[in-house]
This record gives sequence, C-alpha cells and structure tokens, in this order.
Amino acid sequence: MRSNRVGWLLLAPTIAILGIFGIVPFLYVLYVALHQWNPFGANPYMVYNGANNFRRLVFDNEFLTSIAFTLKFAFFAVLSEVILGYFLAQLFMREFPGRGLFRTIHTLPLIVAPIVVGSVWRLMMTPSIGIIPYLLKSWFGYDLNIGRDATMAFALTVIMDIWHWTPLVTLTLLAALVSLPKEPFEQAQIDGANRWQIFWHVTLPMIRPAILATVFIRLMDALRTVDEVWMLTGGGPGAATRYLGLHIWKIVFPKTDYGYGSATSVIVLYLTLVMCWLLYVALVARRGQKRAS
Amino acid sequence: MKHELGMSLAALAVGLMTSVMPAKADFWSDAGAKYKGVTLHGVTESTPPSNYIKDVLAPAFEKATGIKVEIETTSWDQMYDKAIKDMEAKTGIYDMVYIEQDIIYAYLARDFLVDITKSLKDDPSLKAPDYDETHFTTFANYFKNADGDLFGIPMEAFIKLYLYRTDLFNDPAIKEAFKKETGKDLVPAKTHEEYTQIAEFFTKWGKDHSLELWGTTAQASTGHPASWYEFFESVAPTFGVYNWGIDASKNYSASVANGGTMNSDKAKAALKYWLHLRDIAPPESPASTWTEVATTFAAGRAAQGLVYGENAAWIAADAEKSKVVGNVGVALPPLEPGVMEDAEAGKGYIGYYDGGAFGLPITSKNKEASLLFLQYIGQDSVQGDWAVAAPRITNTATYDDPKVIEMDKKLNGYYTMLKNDGKLFAGAPPYPFHAQVREATAPIFYKILLGEVSPDDGLDQMAAAAEAELTNLGYRK
Repeated sequence: MRSNRVGWLLLAPTIAILGIFGIVPFLYVLYVALHQWNPFGANPYMVYNGANNFRRLVFDNEFLTSIAFTLKFAFFAVLSEVILGYFLAQLFMREFPGRGLFRTIHTLPLIVAPIVVGSVWRLMMTPSIGIIPYLLKSWFGYDLNIGRDATMAFALTVIMDIWHWTPLVTLTLLAALVSLPKEPFEQAQIDGANRWQIFWHVTLPMIRPAILATVFIRLMDALRTVDEVWMLTGGGPGAATRYLGLHIWKIVFPKTDYGYGSATSVIVLYLTLVMCWLLYVALVARRGQKRAS
Repeated sequence: MKHELGMSLAALAVGLMTSVMPAKADFWSDAGAKYKGVTLHGVTESTPPSNYIKDVLAPAFEKATGIKVEIETTSWDQMYDKAIKDMEAKTGIYDMVYIEQDIIYAYLARDFLVDITKSLKDDPSLKAPDYDETHFTTFANYFKNADGDLFGIPMEAFIKLYLYRTDLFNDPAIKEAFKKETGKDLVPAKTHEEYTQIAEFFTKWGKDHSLELWGTTAQASTGHPASWYEFFESVAPTFGVYNWGIDASKNYSASVANGGTMNSDKAKAALKYWLHLRDIAPPESPASTWTEVATTFAAGRAAQGLVYGENAAWIAADAEKSKVVGNVGVALPPLEPGVMEDAEAGKGYIGYYDGGAFGLPITSKNKEASLLFLQYIGQDSVQGDWAVAAPRITNTATYDDPKVIEMDKKLNGYYTMLKNDGKLFAGAPPYPFHAQVREATAPIFYKILLGEVSPDDGLDQMAAAAEAELTNLGYRK
C-alpha cells in the first residue's frame, strides 16, 4: 500500500506534464473540431456544429488526395530508409579504415534542422540556379524542373527524407545488431546455413523489435512531415507534395479555419494509430499467436 | 549699473534659452524617462525597410530614450503566424506588429489594433514634436478607419512596376532587328500586345544568340501564393478586372452569373496572356516567387518584367548583388484600352500598391512606450536615409530630401513615378478574408498553371470556390 503511494507520488510530475502538455491540448483540439471557428469569418467566434467538420472531410477531395500522396510518400521513404539503414548498419559492423570518420559524417544530417534541410535542398534544386539541375542538364541533357514536374518533385521529397533520416535507422539497427549474442550465428554456421538463411531465420527475428520501433517512429514522422517539404516545394507543383502535415498547416494557419483544421488533425491522428496498430498486428501479434498455437 | 543690468538680462536670456531649447531637443529622453528599462518586442517580415528599423532606427531610439527595442525579422508566413497567434490568444508578447496593407481590414474587423490618432490625442504628453500624421502619403489612408483615425504607421510603400533593360532596349543592333521583325520601334510596351511582342522577340534573340536571356519574368510558382498574387494584383487589373473579381456590393459575388468578374472574359484573356508569358520566361519561373523574380532580373536573365518596387533599388544600384546596375529603366505596366481612364477616374487601378505599416496590438503591455517608438519611425527627420537604404517612401517630406533626389536619378525616376503616378495604383481590396479566399482558390490556380485544367474552366471553378468559401465564412448570404 505504502509503496503504491510512493510510486504514484514519483509518477505524479510525469503524469502532470503529460496531462498539461499532451492530454489537455488534445481534448481542446477535439472540442474545437466540433465547432465552426474562423476568426476572420463574419462571425469570428466558435459556433457548435456537431460532426459537420468530420462529415465535410469525407467529401473533401483535397484532403483525400493529400492522404493518398502522404501514404505513398511514407511508404517509399520509410521502406527505403529501413533497407538502406540496415545495409549501412551491417557495413558499420565490419572493420574498415576510416570507419569512425565515415560513421560520424553519415550521422551529420540528423543534427540539421528540417527547415535548413529544406532550404539547402531548395537551393540545390531550383531550376537555372541550382547545382543539381545544372549537372543533370550538362551531363545527361535532362531538364529537372520541380516547378513543373510533379513526379520529380514527389521523388525529390522522398530522396530528401531518406537523406535526412536514414542515419537514425542505421544507428538504431546498429545498436540492435551490436547487442545480438554470437551463439545463434555460430550455431547456424555449424548447421550449414548460408548468409541469406542466417539473415532470414536468425538476424531478422532477433532484431524485429528494433525494426518495428524504428518503423513506427519513422512512419509517424513521415505522416506529419511539414517543414522540409514546405521549404523545398511548398506542397507543389499543384498538390503533388501537399502531404497531410502541410495540408493541415494550410487549413489552420493561412486559412485560419480552426474548426476544420482540428477535425482534420483528429482524423489524421486516428489514421496514424490505425496504421501502427495494423502494422503491429501484421508483424508481431499474428506471429505471437502462431507460435502459441 | 547699466552694465550689470545688461549682464543680468543676458544671463536671463541664456538661462531661458537653455531651459527652453532642450525641452524640444530632449523630447525623446524626457518622454522615454518614464519607460526606461522597458523592452519593446516587434515582429516583421525580413525586408530591407524592416532590417533598417532593426539595425538603425531601433538602436537610435534606444539611445535617445533608454527604451530597448527588439525587432524580430522573419519570413512572411512566420511573421503572420506569430503576430496573429499573439493577438488572438491575447498573450501580449508583441508591442509592434507589421501590418501588410492587405491584412489591415482583417485586423480592424477583429479590433486587434490600437487607434494611434486617438491615443495621441488622449495623452498629448506622448506626442512627439517632429511627428505629424498629415505628412504621410496617401498610402496611409489604407490604415485608417472610417473616422480617419490611423491604426498603423506606414513604414514601406512600393508600386509593382515594369522594369526593362535600358542596355538592351538601346542597343542599335537589337533595335534594328526588332524593327525589321515587327516594323516597330523598340520602346517600353504600353499595351499587352506590345509587351508580348517584345517578350517573344527577346526570348528568340536569347536562343538565337545562345544567351541566357528571356523576354520577360513570370512570378509563376506552382506551389506558392506568389503566382496567385501576380495574377490577381498585377495582371488582371491591367485588363480591367479589379478587386480580384469579387464584388462586395453584389453579395460578395465572384462569378459572372452572380455579378462578379473572376471568371469574366477579361479575366480569361488576362490569364491566357500571362500563361503565354510564363511559357517564354526563364525556366525557373514555375518555381519563382517575388524574391526569385527580382533575382532573375538582377541576374540579367530577363529583358523586362513586373517587379516589386522594394527590389528596384538593389537591382538598379547594388553592384554586389545585381549584374544590371545602371541598365534598369522603369515604366508603367502595359494596359488594355480603358484601364488608364478607369484609374484616373478612381474606378480602377493599373497595378499593385504594395506596402505595410507598424501597428500597436491592443494586447501590448507597453502601449505608451510603443507609441513613442512608432512616432520615432514616422517622424520626418528619419525618412531620407531610410528611403536611400531601402527604396520606400511613406512620407511626403521624403521626396525633397537631396539624398532621395540623387537616388531617384540612379533609379531612372522610380521615386518620381511613385510621387506622380502612385495614385494610379491600389493596394489589395478592403476585404477581411484575403488568405481565406486565396487558399480556397489557389489549388485550382496551381492546376491551371500545370495544365491540368484549362484557364477558362479553372477560372469558372475558382469563382465557384471563392463564393463557396465566402458563404462558409458568412459574408455571402
């Protein structure tokens, strides 16, 4: 009884902070989502309108398009980061000259603020003045114009995200690989397993929790990306890179449609939770059930 | 005795002079004494005029009054984001906010700002001797309410003007080639047809001579509202489509069917004209905002273009940043017949009168000290140097400053044009829903730019979207 009380007492600051900075704002967003509220409307005050904002979302083409583009972005970015991150982690497991230096350089993008990453990439990609369009034109005769080419603009946002966040995946997977015991690998080698079999039957199952945690973190980040893309393309050309975070930002800030923006945020949060849950079920829970049966 | 009396009178006169003169000279230190130790916080867009406030006027004011001023210069979007959030949430972080001309109506509708005229009338002890709001140019009218009270101290005002390359326009070989090709003399365009002809000629000239030269600039970003603004504020009015094609007197209608002009034949002609120019402009144009357009012109990549006046000075005079120093001419934008007559009669306008003011949020915790600072930047004596450092004029006294007259020569008469023809230009329409309508229609506009929707259909869709948004906002009944 006494230890319970001490436990709660020790947890109290954390719970208070979580409540003030996490739960209260969330409840407020939920409350605003049930209202029509645009401070620059004819009536600048909140007017209760039930679930109308949520109903409006279902028929909002811009929102639905934004979901589609965001899912596509998250899929390509996260998948590439995990694959590339794993290979880099494997590389860093080996001894080679300059490994420490290479590891440090490889980690540098992580310490750059997303807004700076976006600015630098914009400078490099702007037609006529950027180095990349210049080189592509000189070497391959290819005209890179992110103001006109929607596919290329999309691909560049993915590449920029991969450049920025792969080091995080590498570090996480490297930590997981380093902590693995040697015995299962030795045993697999003695049993005659080849490299692919060792990877598939030994390494992958053992680092699955680390992969899952990384995928969850990166997926959530990718679904709410704003700053980098905002700087690089501004969501364009057209709506080609208007991902959900940017879409919500445009509704809430320039358009000041607080009610609708809040409703969109709530739905996006819900979608993120559902996706993470589906991923969890697909990768962990079903496997656990299989084992139990 | 007589000598002693004389001495006494002289001493009295000196005493009186020394007691009276500092009263005027030391107004700032006297008025600021009460607020010594106070720190004022302002937020503004990072532009040359704002940077001058931050780097020159704020330190000078601190020296004169003891009141510290911290000016935060940031991006256009961030500046609004911060200012509106602060005033909306009543946090009182900012004592001064930048008010761009197009948002003043929204701020006034929300009672965000302090009535500066009334505040100085209510407390004459705060009134600076060198500050007189009647000295402001007519641009100040945008920041007044119906009673004529001022809610913002105008700190920058420019017109979006037609810049052209004098070296190219005066080159004998080019002139001859142009005459041969078009049968006309190469002079700055007065009509859209002439402008297009010149643009097409120079784009071809650049290609034929392997030059990095195109016929015109185009602020045609496919993901930034700058393109939307270029069309509605600088191009559509020259075709006779005013106030974004929205008619407030007709229930805020945008579509022709309801009495608006956003999808009128004139608007459609304007859009096709501009899209053609975009197609013969430098390749960076689909990614160009107002900044990149200025850079393109300064890099010598365009023979002519519509450029915001705030960039005119550095393009024309700063050799460190511009390759076309000494080769920049200014002219009024090309027009359709009837538009100039509309502008002269006050029924329309020929282009955008851009600018902004510094306002005092009602939520400020240091209103009196802020009023002093606002007067400090509005007084006549600081205007000349400020206008030379950044090509802005908001005070009539500035035009006669010798430094400004000298600068006007370097800018090929830009200040003279501002003085004489400024009245033909207009700021954004007096609507409190700018960003809302822009954001509702811009996605369709970007589709037009990308060729996903035709200009005619796109403008029809935009008019419908604008009306739907205005209905949603409660303005359209």
